[in-house]
Amino acid sequence: MHSILQWIAAFYESTVFVYGSVLLVIYALLALLSYMAIRVFLQKETYTDYSDLLSSDLAPGISVLAPAYNEGLSIIMNVQSLLTLNYPVFEIILVNDGSTDNSMEQLIKEFELVRVDFAYNPKIRTKPINNIYRSTNTAFSKLTVIDKVNGKSKADAVNAGINVASFDYFVCTDVDCILDKDALLKLIKPVMDEQSKRVIATGATLRIANSCVIDKGVIIQMKPPRNLIARFQEMEYVRAFILGKMGWSFINCVPNVSGGLGLFDKEIAIKAGGYDPLSFGEDMELMVRMCRYACDNQIKYAIRYIPTTLCWTEGPANIKVLKAQRTRWARGLAQLMYAHFKMCFNPRYGRMGMITFPYNFFFELLAPLIELSGILYYIFLIVTGGVNYQYAILLLLFVYSYSIMITTIAILWDQIAFRHYKSWKEVLFLCSTALFEFVLYHPLVVIFSLRGYYYFLTGKKHSWGNMQRQGFAQVKQ
Amino acid sequence: MPDILPVNETGEGFTIPYFDQWMAMPVIIRVAVVFIGISTIFILYIQFRIWFTRYKGYLLNKRVEKVVPVIDALIAEEIFMKSETGQKGAPHINFDAFRIPLFANHKNKQILIDRLINYRRSFSGSIGNHFKQLYLELGLDKLSTKKMNRRSWNMKVRGIRELTGMDVSISDVNILPLTNSKRHELRTEARNAYIKLSKNEPFKFFDISSEPLLDWDQIELFKTITTTENIAIPNFARWVTYSNNKSIISFCLKLIVHYNQQDAAPAVIKLLETKDHILRAEAINCLGKLKYEPAEAQLRHIYSNQPLNCQLEILKAIGRMSTGESAQFLRQEFMYSTDFDIRKNAAMSFVRNASPEYIDELMEASNDENKLILKHSMNPLIKY
Repeated sequence: MHSILQWIAAFYESTVFVYGSVLLVIYALLALLSYMAIRVFLQKETYTDYSDLLSSDLAPGISVLAPAYNEGLSIIMNVQSLLTLNYPVFEIILVNDGSTDNSMEQLIKEFELVRVDFAYNPKIRTKPINNIYRSTNTAFSKLTVIDKVNGKSKADAVNAGINVASFDYFVCTDVDCILDKDALLKLIKPVMDEQSKRVIATGATLRIANSCVIDKGVIIQMKPPRNLIARFQEMEYVRAFILGKMGWSFINCVPNVSGGLGLFDKEIAIKAGGYDPLSFGEDMELMVRMCRYACDNQIKYAIRYIPTTLCWTEGPANIKVLKAQRTRWARGLAQLMYAHFKMCFNPRYGRMGMITFPYNFFFELLAPLIELSGILYYIFLIVTGGVNYQYAILLLLFVYSYSIMITTIAILWDQIAFRHYKSWKEVLFLCSTALFEFVLYHPLVVIFSLRGYYYFLTGKKHSWGNMQRQGFAQVKQ
Repeated sequence: MPDILPVNETGEGFTIPYFDQWMAMPVIIRVAVVFIGISTIFILYIQFRIWFTRYKGYLLNKRVEKVVPVIDALIAEEIFMKSETGQKGAPHINFDAFRIPLFANHKNKQILIDRLINYRRSFSGSIGNHFKQLYLELGLDKLSTKKMNRRSWNMKVRGIRELTGMDVSISDVNILPLTNSKRHELRTEARNAYIKLSKNEPFKFFDISSEPLLDWDQIELFKTITTTENIAIPNFARWVTYSNNKSIISFCLKLIVHYNQQDAAPAVIKLLETKDHILRAEAINCLGKLKYEPAEAQLRHIYSNQPLNCQLEILKAIGRMSTGESAQFLRQEFMYSTDFDIRKNAAMSFVRNASPEYIDELMEASNDENKLILKHSMNPLIKY
């Protein structure tokens, strides 16, 4: 019996060792790949004049879809901000998903909306549409407002928007996100610049807007958030977008285009069935289905990411909201893996099946579980006196220093490319946050992820993922 | 494991502190310790790089802030003021005023080039020519040509950009081979430059181009072609008929529409026979935008054999032609098609083709869904 236990312990330790080593190597590779991707991007960017597209008759049209639920406090300012995007041919489709506040009344009054007889074609099934509105004022001729029955999810609202969209590409965003004025120009560029593949989606970097200086829906100055929880997220976003997604983009293995901002090929999105209203990670779920559809139909596809920050969002500034957000994300990931597990290690699905999916399964889904098992094993060893504290501390220090190094590299890549913050001190301020991530922020994220998995297994009820907003700091007039 | 290390000259053995402990550690722990050291050094190095990158940017900004006002002041004095004072004939510009030690530095010289290109872009006519003259007088064109002859594609592009920006001609022998370069950025730049600067046949590369014109390239070329002054626009039907490069044909169709080349329409009609349905749809789109009425009957004739994208383009094209001859055909499609998009496009074109009485009659005969589609098509607030 004793030898069996010893064998199990040895097996567990070896497995975790291999797992950890592979993860560290992947991070190192991503750092390298992302650097190459950013270099290529910057080289191209030097010779790109976006004004050529801005004044061109050949620009493809883009529909901007903005779902909203009880966003009455800021909805007018946000729609006004969307209407000022720089792009020659676009429309804004705002989907009011059965808000219970006065959002709809405000919209009708502010934008001089009237009900129109709109030939609605439900290519993707959604909750019923109450009315569709257009403005009588030509200044708002780009705006269409859909008023629909609440579908209890962002996915249902966006699907309604897709059904109404007139153009071949749609950009999905949250109505409370702040977009860069040139976001559409920059998102469509990778689609138009691809030679042999069909670009089915493009994403860009998202950042936390919490302490940024904002004037009338425009970011005036970027600052690292003062709030520690928001700052952790800023650092996490830099790492995830600049290092992670850019690295994956370089080898065409992007796992997900963020729900905050992404441009999609409408035809493929519709044929893939649109967003899944029952999913908690609807953005990633759609991406997987679009890839799946492309592979099943022998379409050579690509998903591209650009390192430019084109969208700012308000990050949760307290643990309660963060908990709700991360629980939902983890639950979405578990749902996705469960629904599409057949793709894992399936060569039919190319890189998605052989690289992206296995990575997500082993290093995103299983990571919190392995961490939990590690902690339990440690406790067991402490109780049984099986820990060599000197070695344990050294190993911990190793992981700690490595994680700080990876985060710092991501911040460096960001600085090489953009130098968003005004001073070096602000960058240092953000870098210093990495010192505490390991002990303060990471355990929280693991706990919330486990909570998400638990809810997935027990099937807790579904609702719109709205978080309590604190509002952005506005520039003093 | 030895705990005494090499013997020194006096013959006494010595030990390295903690060496025994180090050697006694498992390999994994030793690797971890080494990595802790590497990571720590790397973190410090990255911090330095961040600071250095920012500092370099700061220095560059400082340099620009110092040099640009000097350039602007000289330009104001020598070009703007002398042009404004209304001297008879061409104003005498003292180019020597720009030969100052500040511009001996190559970084400052680069700022001067960039600034001149910027001014040249903003001013046309005689003032614009003064900037070109200044650029040539100061020998800055030689620097740009040197860049163009460098091996790195990056520098080549830069050189071409500068010469094109200043409208300095580049010989066909140098530029034409680059229009077919494997390097996309270089290829695009060379094509733009060739169209802008070639004295003989600016569209010659259309004949030899085997690499595809990407959508983004088309945007850039389209702008260059449509904004370059004194460019002889050829009949693009030539490439629609003879080119083997589909992207060139597609691009020419767009140019035919832009320049409303009605005499190119027969070549476009010939393209309706192509097996590539995407290209065929583009040809139909082109005929519609040209409002080339003689093609209407043929479009109706081929309609039933076409895939959905071509059928939709035919319906739109007939709508644009607005001759009224196809009202019955559009009615038919609207009433009996099972595809929503076909009915919607047929309705939109029908509204443009039929008389108000005919529209009312169709409204009467329609079911609820079709009525809604017709109302949608007639509503001036709805664009698409």
